Amino acid sequence: MVGISVKRSKSLLIEQYIAKLERGEALLDDSSQNLVEVVGILKSYGVVLDAYSINLCYIANTQFLKLFPLFKYFNGQINPNKVAKFVWHDRLNYEYAEYCMKAMFWHGGGGLDTYLDTPEFAAETERLVKAYFKYNPLMLALHKAFKDFLPEQMRQMAYYSALGQFWRVMSDIFLNLSDSYDRGEIKSIPDVVKFILDGLVADATRPITYTVEVRGQEFDIIPKAAGLTFLADTAVPYVEAIFFRGTPFTGTVSYNAQAYEIPYDPGMFNYGALYADPLPIGGAGIPPTLLMQDMRHFLPDYLRQLYQHQSIRGTGDIRVQICESFQKSMFCVTTAAVKGLAPYPLDTQNSEQQAANRKYLKGWLNRILESQLVKVNSQIQTELKPV
Amino acid sequence: MTDFLLENSWVIPIYSLVGAVITLPWSLGIIRKTGPRPAAYINILMTLVAFVHGTIIFNLIWAKPARQFVFHWLQVADLDLVLSFELSPVSFGALELVTGISLLVQIYALGYMEKDWSLARFFALMGFFETALAGLALSDSLLLSYCLLEALTLSTYLLVGFWYAQPLVVTAARDAFLTKRVGDIALLMGIVALSSYGEGLNFSQLETWVEGHQLNPTVSALLGLALIAGPIGKCAQFPLNLWLDEAMEGPNPAGIMRNSIVVSAGAYVLIKLEPATTLSPISADALIIVGAVTAIGTSLMAIAQIDIKRALSHSTSAYLGLVFIAVGLRQVDIAFLLLFSHAIAKALLFMSAGSVILTTNNQNVSEMGGLWSRMPATSLSFLVGAAGLISFAPLGMFWTYQRWFNGAWDVDWWLLGIVMFVNLLSAVNLTRLFRVIFLGEPQVKTRRAPEAPWQMSVPMVSLMVVTLIATFAPIHWSFWLSPNIPLSLEQPTLVHQYAIPLLIASGALGCVIGSTIGVRRAWSRSSNFTFRFFQDLLAYDFYVEQLYKVTVIAAVSNLAKLTSWIDRYVVDGAVNLVSIATIFSSNALKYNTSGQYQFYIVTIVLGVGLLLWTMLNGQWSMVTNYWSSVM
Amino acid sequence: MMLSALILIPLLGAVIIGLVPLKGKSPRNIAIVTAISVLAISLILGSQFDLQQPGLQFAENIPWIEWIGLNYHLGVDGLSFPLVLLNSLLTLIAIFSTSTTIARPRLYYAMLLLLSSGAAGAFLAQDLLLFFLFYELEIVPLYFLIAIWGGAKRGYAAMKFLLYTALSGILVLASFLGLVWLTEASSFDYLSLRSHTLPLNAQLLLLAPLLVGIFIKIPIFPFHTWLPDAHVEASTPISVLLAGVLLKLGTYALLRFGVGLFFDGWVYLAPWLAILASVSALYGASCAIAQKDMKKVVAYSSIAHMAYILLAATATTRLSMTAAVFQMVSHGLISAFLFLLVGMVYKKTGSRDVDVLRGLLNPEKGLPVTGGLMILGVMASSGLPGMVGFISEFLVFRGSFPIFPIPTLLCLVGTGLTAVYFLLVINKVFFGRLTEGLTQIPPVKWKEHAPAFVLLLLIIAFGIKPDWVTHWSELQAITLLTNG
Repeated sequence: MVGISVKRSKSLLIEQYIAKLERGEALLDDSSQNLVEVVGILKSYGVVLDAYSINLCYIANTQFLKLFPLFKYFNGQINPNKVAKFVWHDRLNYEYAEYCMKAMFWHGGGGLDTYLDTPEFAAETERLVKAYFKYNPLMLALHKAFKDFLPEQMRQMAYYSALGQFWRVMSDIFLNLSDSYDRGEIKSIPDVVKFILDGLVADATRPITYTVEVRGQEFDIIPKAAGLTFLADTAVPYVEAIFFRGTPFTGTVSYNAQAYEIPYDPGMFNYGALYADPLPIGGAGIPPTLLMQDMRHFLPDYLRQLYQHQSIRGTGDIRVQICESFQKSMFCVTTAAVKGLAPYPLDTQNSEQQAANRKYLKGWLNRILESQLVKVNSQIQTELKPV
Repeated sequence: MTDFLLENSWVIPIYSLVGAVITLPWSLGIIRKTGPRPAAYINILMTLVAFVHGTIIFNLIWAKPARQFVFHWLQVADLDLVLSFELSPVSFGALELVTGISLLVQIYALGYMEKDWSLARFFALMGFFETALAGLALSDSLLLSYCLLEALTLSTYLLVGFWYAQPLVVTAARDAFLTKRVGDIALLMGIVALSSYGEGLNFSQLETWVEGHQLNPTVSALLGLALIAGPIGKCAQFPLNLWLDEAMEGPNPAGIMRNSIVVSAGAYVLIKLEPATTLSPISADALIIVGAVTAIGTSLMAIAQIDIKRALSHSTSAYLGLVFIAVGLRQVDIAFLLLFSHAIAKALLFMSAGSVILTTNNQNVSEMGGLWSRMPATSLSFLVGAAGLISFAPLGMFWTYQRWFNGAWDVDWWLLGIVMFVNLLSAVNLTRLFRVIFLGEPQVKTRRAPEAPWQMSVPMVSLMVVTLIATFAPIHWSFWLSPNIPLSLEQPTLVHQYAIPLLIASGALGCVIGSTIGVRRAWSRSSNFTFRFFQDLLAYDFYVEQLYKVTVIAAVSNLAKLTSWIDRYVVDGAVNLVSIATIFSSNALKYNTSGQYQFYIVTIVLGVGLLLWTMLNGQWSMVTNYWSSVM
Repeated sequence: MMLSALILIPLLGAVIIGLVPLKGKSPRNIAIVTAISVLAISLILGSQFDLQQPGLQFAENIPWIEWIGLNYHLGVDGLSFPLVLLNSLLTLIAIFSTSTTIARPRLYYAMLLLLSSGAAGAFLAQDLLLFFLFYELEIVPLYFLIAIWGGAKRGYAAMKFLLYTALSGILVLASFLGLVWLTEASSFDYLSLRSHTLPLNAQLLLLAPLLVGIFIKIPIFPFHTWLPDAHVEASTPISVLLAGVLLKLGTYALLRFGVGLFFDGWVYLAPWLAILASVSALYGASCAIAQKDMKKVVAYSSIAHMAYILLAATATTRLSMTAAVFQMVSHGLISAFLFLLVGMVYKKTGSRDVDVLRGLLNPEKGLPVTGGLMILGVMASSGLPGMVGFISEFLVFRGSFPIFPIPTLLCLVGTGLTAVYFLLVINKVFFGRLTEGLTQIPPVKWKEHAPAFVLLLLIIAFGIKPDWVTHWSELQAITLLTNG
C-alpha cells in the first residue's frame, strides 16, 4: 500500500514539474531570495571557475607526463611570495577542480571518453611518450613493462584540458550573468535559466581540442578532427558525472564492501551535487567543502549580508549556506541543460512534440526529483529584510 | 652535539606531540579563512626531525650496551612510580621503524586525504598516535607502556572516528575503543597487582622479580593472564579481534599504521613483558592457544573477504597470532623478527590498497581487475608486499621462518603445521587478491585508473625498497633478547630438516591454489548452498560478532536496564513511600517560592535557628546533666 | 584570620548582594569579585602552607558558647586544604558560568556565596559542633538554589534533597553528641576528642549512624537516589558545585571523623565497607548505562566514582588515604567539567536526551568544541593516562589492592564500565549526521567555554604532575592513621 501511494505521489510530482517546466518556469521555485542567492553564488562560482579553468589548462598543457608536478598549482609563476602563500594554504583549492576532473574521467560518457580508447589516440600518445622521454631510458623501460601507465596519464590530461575548456565557457556565462543582474536585466529565476541557456547554446558546438608541445614538436592529443564539441562531449558528461552521479563521500558513506552501500553500477550513483546533503559541509570526508571554502572569498556583498542575517550564526556556518545556495544555482543550470537538450521547445503547442518532450522530461525528472530539489523548494523562505 | 642529542633522546616521541598541539588553531576552527595544510606540513616536519634525531642516536648506540633514563614521576607514601626509557639498539630500531613508517604514511596522507578539509585534525591525531608509538618503542617501564597503550586506544578511537558523520564509523569507533579497553582494564588489574607484589614496574626489575617471586600458582596464573589481556586487545587476537575489522572504516593512512605498527606495539609490550607473562605455565599456554586459534581462524576469515582492506586486516591478526605463539614459547627473537618483517610488508600492502581505493572509488575486490599495466607503483607494491609476507619468495618472512626452523630453536611439528597453514592461506589470499585486483579484464569501476599522485607513489616506492632491504634483518639478526640461549642442536631433528622445504612448498601450493580457484565476481554468488554457507561463515567472521551481541552485550545492557529499574522502582520507591508523609510540607514550601527575596533570607535564618534549636533542645537535659555531673 | 576570611568574605558578599538593592550586572560582578578574593586568599594560604608540618595550620580558636562546649575553632591541614581550594575555584567557576540573564540575580548570587561560605566553614571547622553547623548551613541555600532555579520537577527534587541531607545531618549530629557523651569530653573540639579512645563496641555504636549520615551525603548505594534527581533538576552551576564540592563534604567527613575518631571501629567494619564501595561503584556504573538523560549519566557516574573514595578509605594505608584525597580533587574537577559541558549542550540545544541529540560534532552548525572537550572529559573520567582521573584512580586501586583485592578488582571493572556508558553517550550525541531539528543552534563563544578550559588545564596538569596534589595530603595521611 505504502509503495503504491509513494509511486503515485511521485508520478503526481513529476506531472507537476513537467507542467512547471512547460509554463516556462525553472525547476527551482522563483522567489526574490532564490534569485539573490543564485545570482550571487554564481558570481563567486564564476570567479572560482575562472581560476580552476586556467589552472586545469595550465596543468594539461605544461605538466603532462611529469612524475613530480610539485608546482602544478602555480600556473608557472614561482616566486617566494607565492610559495609562502602556498605553504600557508592561502590559495584556492585546485584539488577540487582535479576531484571533479577525476570523477568525470572515471564516470566517462560522451565522445571524449570514446575517443580516448581509439587507435588514433593510442598512436599519438605513443609518439608523445617516445618524444618526451627520448633521453630517459628508465621511463621508456617502465613504459615497456607497464604499457598503459603513461597513456592512462595522458587520458587524464585530456580530461584536465577538456574540463578546463568547459569551465572557461561556464565561468564567462556566470560572470556575465552577474554583470547583467547588476545592470538590472535579470529579474527572476526563469531569467537566470534563460541567460544560462543562451550561453550554452551560443557555445554548443565550440570544438574541444588538446595539443601539447615537446621541444617544439606539436602533438594533437585531441585533434580537431575528432569532432568533439562543448555541449555534447563536455557539458553533458559533466552534468551526468558531477551533478548526478558524483563519488561517495567517505564522510557519509561506508566503502565497506560487505555493507553494500555503494552500488555496483556507477550509473546508479546518486552522490552528485544535486543530491548531496549540505549539512555535513565543512566536516571530515566531504570534498565539496573545498569548493564552498573557495567561494566564500568571492561572495558579493548582498549575498554575504543575506547569510549574515538569515542564520543564527551569521557567517559562522557560511559554508553550509553557500552550499545550499550553490545547490539552488545548480538546479538552474540543470534546468538550462534540460531545456537545451530537449527534442523540441518546451512551450510547443504541437501535441506530438509535447508527447516527445514529456517522455524526455520524465526521464530527467525521475532522477532529479530524488535529489534535494523537493526539499529545497519546500523550504519556507525567510523574508528578505531591507538592508 | 652528539652528547646533547644523546642526553635528550627521550624527547624524540615528544616532537610529534608538539606538532599535534601546533595544529590546534586549524583543527579547532580558529583559522578559517585559509586552509589546514600548514598543520600537515608541520607534522611531517616534526616527524622528520624525530626520524633524523633517532637515526643519529641509533648510529651512536649501535652495538653498545643498553642504558636507561629514569624519571621519578611520583613518589607518594611508600610508592615510587618510575618512568624509564631505554637506549638500546632494539628500542631505537623500533623507534626508527615507527618514525620512518609514520613519515611515509604522513606524506602518503597528503595525497590520500587531499580533498579532506579536516586535514589538520587528521594530522594532529597522527602526531598523537606517533607520540604514543614512539614512546612505547623507548619505554622501559610497564606503567609508562600502559599509559601509552591507553593513549593508543584513544587515538585509535579518534582516528577510526575521524569521519564521525558516517553511520558505520560511529559504531566502529566505539567498538574499537571498548574492545581494546577490555584488554587494557585487565592489564591495569595486572599492573596494580604487580605493583603491589613486586619491586617496581620496570621491565628489568620485573625480570628479576619473576625469578624470585613467592606467589601461589593460581595468583601467578591470573596475573599472567591479566598481563597478556592488554596485548590481546591491541594485537586483535581472539576473542578481542573484531575491532580491527571494523576499524577499517577509518581513513586508510591510519589503517596502514594500525595494521603494521600499532598491532606491533601491542606485541612489543608483550615481548617486553615476556618474563612476567610466562611466570605461570598457564599464561604461557594461553598465549600459545590464543595465538594458534587466532592464526588459524583469521587466516580462514581473510580468504572469504571481498573488501580489500578487510582481507588484509584479518591476515594481520593471523601473523600476530604467530607472534603470540613465539612469545609463548619464549622465542622472543623470532617474535621480534616476525613483527618486523610483517610490519613493513603489511604497511606496503595497505599503501597499495589505499591507492587502489582512491583511484577506483571502491573497496570491493570483486568489482576490480586489470589495474596492472596502468598502475605500476601500486601493482609492484602489492607484489613486493605479498612476497614479503609469504615464505615462497626469498624476502623477509621467508628468512624469518628460516631462522625459526633452522635448528637453533626448539620447535615441534604442531608449530610447523600452524606456520605452514598460515603461510598457505596467506599465499592463497594474497594471490587471490592480486589476481582479482590487478589481472584480468577491467570492470566498470577499474576502467579508468591512472596511477596515484606522487605524494602516494613516492612512499610506496620507498617502502618497496625498504621491504627488499629488510630482508637482511632476519639474515643478520643476532640474539639480543631471548632470555634463554637458543639451542644449538647437534643433530637437527626431523622437523628442522623438513621445515624449510615444507614451508616453501606450502607457499607455492598457496600461490597455485590462489591462482586457480574461482573468484567471486561482482555481486554474484555461488549457487552451491554448502559453499555459500562456508563463504558466509568466514566472511562474517564466524558470526562472532553476533555471538557477542547475544552474550556479553546483551548481558551488560540487560543488567543495566535491570539495575536502572531497581533503582527507580525499588530503591527510590521505598524512599518515596517514606516521604509521602512530607508531601504536604513540600507543597507548603513550593507555594512560598513566589515571595520576595527578603522572605527567603528570613526563612534561612529561621531554618538554621530551628535546626539549632531542635538539636539542642533534644539534648538539653543530657548536656545539663553532663555539666552538673562534672561540677 | 585568613581562615575566617574564607568564610566571612563570601558571607559578607552574600549579605551585600542580598540586602543592598542593586541593579543590572552588579550582583554578578560583586559575586565574581568576592569569589576571586576568596580564591586569592586560598592561594596565598597555599603559598604559606608548611608541607613539612602534618598538623593543623593557621589555626584560630575562640571560645564561642562555652556552656555547650562549642568553640569557634578553625584550622587547615593537608586533608582539608585541597578541598578548600577546590571550593574556592569551583565557586568562581559556578558564578562565571551562570547565565547573565538569570532571574532574581540578587537572591541567586547571595545563595551561591552563602553555599560557598558554608562549605568552606565545614572544611575548616575543627570543632564537631561547628562542623555540623556549617554542614547544615550549606543545605539551606542549596535547597533554594534547586527549588527556585531548577528544572520542571525542581520542587520534588529539592524537597528530596532537603529531607535526605537533613536526615544525614541529624545522624551525624547524633553520633557527635554520643561521642561527647561517651568520652565524657568537655567540649566538641576535634583534637581533644581524638585523644580519647573508646572501646570497640562504643565506637561501632557511634560509627553506624555517622556512616549512614555520611553515606547519604556522598552518596553511597542504597542512599543515593536523591542525587540523580537533584542533579537533573539543578541548573548547571549548581550541579557543578554539588558534584564538585558538596559531595566532598561527605567523603571529607568520612576521613576526618569516620577514620579519625573511630579508627578501631572503622578497621573492624572496613571489609564490609570495601564490599559496599565496590557494589556502589558497579551499581552506579550499571545504572548509568541505561540512562537517556546526559546529566543523569554524569550523575550516576558520580556515584560510581565517589565510591572509590570509600574504597580507598577502607584500606587505611598511607597511600590509600592520600589517594582518597586525590580522588576527591580529581572527581571534583572532572565531574564539574562534565557538568559544565552537558550544561552547555543543554543551554544551546534545549535537550539532554541521547535519543534526540545527534551529530553535534558538525563543525559548521554543531558544537564541535564542546564535543571535543566532552570527549576529553569522558576520557579523563574513564581514567585515561595523562589526565588526573588515571593517576588518582590508580593510586586508589594500588592503595587498596593489598588490603582488599577483590573489591578493588570489582571497582576496576567499574572503571571499565565508565568508558562504556560515556562512549555510548558520546557516539550517540556527537557522532553521526546532525539532526534536522538542530540546524539552528546558537554558536558557543570562546568566553562561554573559558571555565571548561580552566578545568581542563588543571585536569591535564595534575594528570602529568600528580604530586602537585598529593604532596598536600601525604603527611596528613599518617596523622590520620595514628590513632589518637
